[in-house]
Amino acid sequence: MRAIEALVTELARLPGIGRKTAQRLTFHLLQQGPEESSRLARALDTVATTVRACAECGYVAEEERCEFCRDARRDAGLICVVEEAASVQAVERSTEFRGRYHVLGGRLSPLDGIGPESLRIDSLLERVRGGGVREVILATNPSMEGEVTATYLHQVLAGEGLRVTRLARGLPMGGDLEYVDGVTLAHALLARQDIVG
Amino acid sequence: MHLDRIVLRGFRNLRDLDHLLPPEGVVFLGPNAQGKTNFLEAIGYPVLFRALRGATDAEVTGFGGPGFRLEAIFHDGDRSRTAEVTYTAGNRRKRIMLDGAPVARLSEAVGAWVAVAFLPRDVALAGGPATERRQYLDRMLSLASTDYLRALARYRAALAQRNAALRQGQEPLARAFDAPLAAAGSEVTALRLRWVAGAADRFAEGFASLGEHGPTGLSYRTDAALADPAGWADALQRVRNRDLGRGMTTIGPHRDDLVLTVDGRSLRDFGSTGQLRSAAIALRLLELTTIEEARGVPPALLLDDVFAELDSDRQARLADRLLAQRVGQVFVTAPRRDELPAGLQLPIWSVHQGVVTGAA
Repeated sequence: MRAIEALVTELARLPGIGRKTAQRLTFHLLQQGPEESSRLARALDTVATTVRACAECGYVAEEERCEFCRDARRDAGLICVVEEAASVQAVERSTEFRGRYHVLGGRLSPLDGIGPESLRIDSLLERVRGGGVREVILATNPSMEGEVTATYLHQVLAGEGLRVTRLARGLPMGGDLEYVDGVTLAHALLARQDIVG
Repeated sequence: MHLDRIVLRGFRNLRDLDHLLPPEGVVFLGPNAQGKTNFLEAIGYPVLFRALRGATDAEVTGFGGPGFRLEAIFHDGDRSRTAEVTYTAGNRRKRIMLDGAPVARLSEAVGAWVAVAFLPRDVALAGGPATERRQYLDRMLSLASTDYLRALARYRAALAQRNAALRQGQEPLARAFDAPLAAAGSEVTALRLRWVAGAADRFAEGFASLGEHGPTGLSYRTDAALADPAGWADALQRVRNRDLGRGMTTIGPHRDDLVLTVDGRSLRDFGSTGQLRSAAIALRLLELTTIEEARGVPPALLLDDVFAELDSDRQARLADRLLAQRVGQVFVTAPRRDELPAGLQLPIWSVHQGVVTGAA
């Protein structure tokens, strides 16, 4: 049936969803009845029409500026740079960060045609040059492309007269040392700290 | 390592089969183009999960078939393990399972089963372009060391990104990939250099054991500074304009070579066909020793029509060398019984039009 096929195709385009899962979701919705599907459709429609990128930082917003950029209690002198909007949620879960964000919209990957011009780097420079920024924390992912993006941003931000830092890499809490891979352990050793207290 | 059982469905021209294999190995006998080498290829496939002779998975799939399935049950020391591959031609998807569990990354399954293959085209190892010898080093050292396998994967990823940036003329972007390239590239270079330092004498010994004369040399041609991550910045700076002009990275382990000499002269340029063949076999013997020492068990041996290429003296010498003191499993293909060395005592199976008979 064409309608079912169209929904399966659309769902299968989502990240992490293969064709089989898309079919299972579609038949689940059909089984639940029209009300369930309509509620989902309305939620999707609302998101599509009301949510946009924050004009300042690129995070999701229902107004021109996102909740963090509007919040006067958050430190505007501290900017945490992430690859994607989803990373903002992760940093927020840490509850340690009270500054603001900047979402790049990806990471440098020349193989995929993603160069500096494809990312929100110019708007980061504008924010920095606008004054009042003391520190930029580079929180790109610890993948090769994430590291390279951080290196590149470090070069771009050098000479802007502010502190540029990178998230530390090390051991996971609750982990067991013998299961940690060699690269992570090497980084943790290099970034070891004196015990305070 | 011992292959206990192999199950094949839709693999090359071979009729579907499920065979138990003798612990000492098998000789596959039959005229050419019947499927002997395909059987050997099936045994070698689960080492790197790709075909020995560089064929694509689509080519490995039986003509017009929907895909292939291969299951290898083997012993690594006392441990029984299973490697399974299912390839679907329609979507070109390959699924690999190790010990019944799907693997997320190919590198997790690479080297669980290890075999070293001697192929007729091996003469290119000594007489062919440098890329043949780099592939040889990469395959052997990846199977001997997970550190090498990981460093190589990181190096190739960084190199591909840096080259893409160079092709696009984005110099600062290419420069941002210098650090990961240096970190992984120095590791690959250092591990290759370390192997070569310990291998030169053994290469000479293997070459001489085949009845060849003359002092031999085995060395690694590289910029020695590249074995240290700190040496890369200057080296990359020196070639920056050239790299930009050519749109590719022109230094690093992907440009190095393993140089073989006899009597101080390049084997590749001056070696006779017999010498090239012996040198290639000596390299395979080195591969066998290197992997056996790293893994603690002898890999299986796959000998594809190797004896037919040699005169009777070299045949006998190679057979003595390979088989006399070995406890590993050996698989040999030959068109005729009289092309096998006299000392080879293995069960004989025949392969005819894709059907393997004589199996237990």
